[in-house]
Amino acid sequence: MRQRSDSLFAGFAWGATFLVLASIGALLAFLFVRGAGTLGPRLLFGDTAAWAALLRHAPVFDGLWPAVVGTLLLVCGSSLLAVPVGIAAGIHISEYAGPRVRRVAGLCIDLLAGIPSIIMGLFGFGLILFLRQTLLPDANTCLLLSIVCIALLILPYMIRTTETALRSLPEDALLLGPSLGFSRWRAVRHIHLPLASRGILSGMILSVGRAAEDTAVILMTGVVANAGTPQSLTDKFEGLPFTIYYLAAEHRTVGELDRAFGAALILLLVTGTIFGFAYWAHRGLEQRWSLRS
Amino acid sequence: MKQLADWFGMAWMALALGLATIPLAAAGTPLEAFRGATGTIDIAGGTAHIPVMNEAAKQIMTAYPKVRITVAGGGSGVGVEKVAAGLVAIGNTGRPLSKQEAERHGLISFPFAIDGVAVIIHPKNPVSDLSAEQIRKIFAGQTTNWKAVGGQDAPINLYTRDEASGTRAVLWKKLLKKGLIAEHADVVTSNGAMKVAAAQDPNAIGYAGIGHIDSTVKAPLLDGIAPTQENAAAGHYPIVRKLYMNTKGEPSPLVRAFIDYILGPAGAKIIKSKGYIPLVAG
Amino acid sequence: MLARNATGRSVAVAAQEISLPQTADRWIGGLLGAATATAACTVLLIVGFLLYSSMPLLLSGEFIETVTRHWRPYHMPPEYGIGPMILGSLSLALLALVLALPLGVGLCSFLHGLAPRRLSRPVLIAVHLMTSIPTVIYGFVSVSLLVPLLRRGLGEGSGFSLLAAALTLAMLIVPTITLLLNVHLQQIDPRIRIACLSLGMTPAQTVRRVLLPASRQALLAATILGLSRALGDTLVALMVAGNAAQIPSSLLDSIRTLTAHIALVLATDTYSPEYRSLAAAGLMLFTLTAVLSLLIRQLGRHSRGGSHRAPAIR
Repeated sequence: MRQRSDSLFAGFAWGATFLVLASIGALLAFLFVRGAGTLGPRLLFGDTAAWAALLRHAPVFDGLWPAVVGTLLLVCGSSLLAVPVGIAAGIHISEYAGPRVRRVAGLCIDLLAGIPSIIMGLFGFGLILFLRQTLLPDANTCLLLSIVCIALLILPYMIRTTETALRSLPEDALLLGPSLGFSRWRAVRHIHLPLASRGILSGMILSVGRAAEDTAVILMTGVVANAGTPQSLTDKFEGLPFTIYYLAAEHRTVGELDRAFGAALILLLVTGTIFGFAYWAHRGLEQRWSLRS
Repeated sequence: MKQLADWFGMAWMALALGLATIPLAAAGTPLEAFRGATGTIDIAGGTAHIPVMNEAAKQIMTAYPKVRITVAGGGSGVGVEKVAAGLVAIGNTGRPLSKQEAERHGLISFPFAIDGVAVIIHPKNPVSDLSAEQIRKIFAGQTTNWKAVGGQDAPINLYTRDEASGTRAVLWKKLLKKGLIAEHADVVTSNGAMKVAAAQDPNAIGYAGIGHIDSTVKAPLLDGIAPTQENAAAGHYPIVRKLYMNTKGEPSPLVRAFIDYILGPAGAKIIKSKGYIPLVAG
Repeated sequence: MLARNATGRSVAVAAQEISLPQTADRWIGGLLGAATATAACTVLLIVGFLLYSSMPLLLSGEFIETVTRHWRPYHMPPEYGIGPMILGSLSLALLALVLALPLGVGLCSFLHGLAPRRLSRPVLIAVHLMTSIPTVIYGFVSVSLLVPLLRRGLGEGSGFSLLAAALTLAMLIVPTITLLLNVHLQQIDPRIRIACLSLGMTPAQTVRRVLLPASRQALLAATILGLSRALGDTLVALMVAGNAAQIPSSLLDSIRTLTAHIALVLATDTYSPEYRSLAAAGLMLFTLTAVLSLLIRQLGRHSRGGSHRAPAIR
């Protein structure tokens, strides 16, 4: 009897694995089959010549180029904000903070990590309304606002990965600094950070992936269906995830639906590449430990 | 390699042609008003307007890349809210502003087109004529099978629009006489999305601005009257609304130029080509 | 070995430099502290913002009404309550969890003992890869494949339904559950496995009777984290669930979640009664996810089972 229930369990585990992998396989296969035919310069630039679009001589209509640029700017901008703050806070919590600060800060960061992205978007929208009534009557939803909100969204992940990587160092590594008479910062800078760098780096990159895919935040903070490539941080912008959402719901022609599939494929390529980098960082740094030097 | 070279060649040629023709096309046309202008016009709101706005933006920005025009949807509610808050220069609505809305925020309306609102169904649905009463019962959730209105034996799948929709407000007031819309109706967020939903679901019933209707959906007769823009303009088809652009106070010169462009002959051409009937200014 | 060398080099470099004066160290500490304060203040700001926007409802006592009532804008008199959205969010998240939990446990059992050696690593990579697929793509494929399938297969309803959204969301949270559980299973003392082996237990027996029972806490944490992700998702619900503001009574009902409601209603005029429900929806959603975050924290304190965040690739 026991034997049979155990083999039933084995069957269940195999079944679950197969089901999940098959679903994901079907999803990816469907996207590739449906989207592959749409790839090409036309998908990106529509009727505008590629050169003109790249050199900004001419705006792009019916192409994904502005959305690609928007998403890349969003990813770079929010990483630029969130990475330094995230690493600094992670170092602070794991190396500097006392138990009480650690508890309170930890609580806040857990709460921040749990906040749904739509609430972050709502917050951003509210922030603009507030700014308009008080300090900046000209403030408006824009690329900068989206960057800030996305940075806040990925910040707790950055902090947590840094903190976890630093805290999981072996004890002798932690004792090395004091034994050499290093100041605390010196120990962190020259011993702990290099040792923890692989964990931090791969965690960073995975968080950046979240910045590329989030839709709910940008939906409420400045993304529009038609804006062209943004010329400044205070411009409205287009984004790949929003383009997919928008075109999926209301393609006017088959061509527009095709473009949605093309956009999905490009976005998948972007997040897949980011994931690949994270994987590479993790594997590579298992062998070459130090980030700098 | 050769292919690549060809491609580059073509790109150059397109660029050269584009640069050569644009100034010519612009000279002495309604686009003249944008000569030398720089700045951004943000537009948001009614989703029935989007095809017209997009086309106008394309025309203007192709000729004068220094002018940036962004177009967002969201529904008439967004149009009112965002223009009132000053977040966009032009807020579009598919319904007239209420007196409160206009007075509270100091909004000025520019009607530019006539659009009927029609019930739409899947093109393969055999039903081709519905009375207003039948439609009311369907949307109230009292009639739940297509057989009851002369169709096949199949359940009716209701689709309605979100809370911010002006199209919904017009239909609810003029066709449903402020009656019920059943709670279980699926909610979609734009005229375009409504068309897609009805085109894909064989048992669907929804509604959209007539300008959005094409061969992928079918608009049954209402009490024997075909829901066409002509009938709407002539007053035969009763479920009609105007499409408005709204600004907060007097528009800036650039926004004024855009509004004049839409209201002028070039705009009328665009409006017609997108399936609406232009209102001649004045 | 290489690692040790690298550390050694780093230490040597450090030793060569003249040690920083104490004040500089304090400055750096302060700077790092400021970063932590920024993150902590953000949460307070967001909570403050949500409370402030709900203030009119809270002060007038309308909050309870708004949270419990129906959404009936066409009735006389109209009702603008978000009761159906709260129930919609909860039923969708729970259903997705019920679907995803067995899959996650099965996957983890497969990875820890049942899988042939060659398979387990690629499968783990695949699960990691799943986390990098954007939510909007799950929603998009679901709209293009699953919804028409349900519509045709069941012959009832539009296909946009609780079921379709739950199936899609389940795929979204399976990797969350699997990876958290996986980290815990990896941390189990290898001697336990050896003991099981020496007792003559099969891999299936080891996983089912020893490893999984030993991971009960991690399983609970994974469940709560999955629930939190499902509650917080906007795009799948908005694209697939149908968005009808009704109390769900069947799997095929079209439902609206709190998240989708926020996205839909933000579009209305600031002065409209619809808009007022926005603050209540935001506050409810935050409260729900915050409670779940606190629960996970509490669990973490007991088990000390390491990080519950998405762990790095292994």
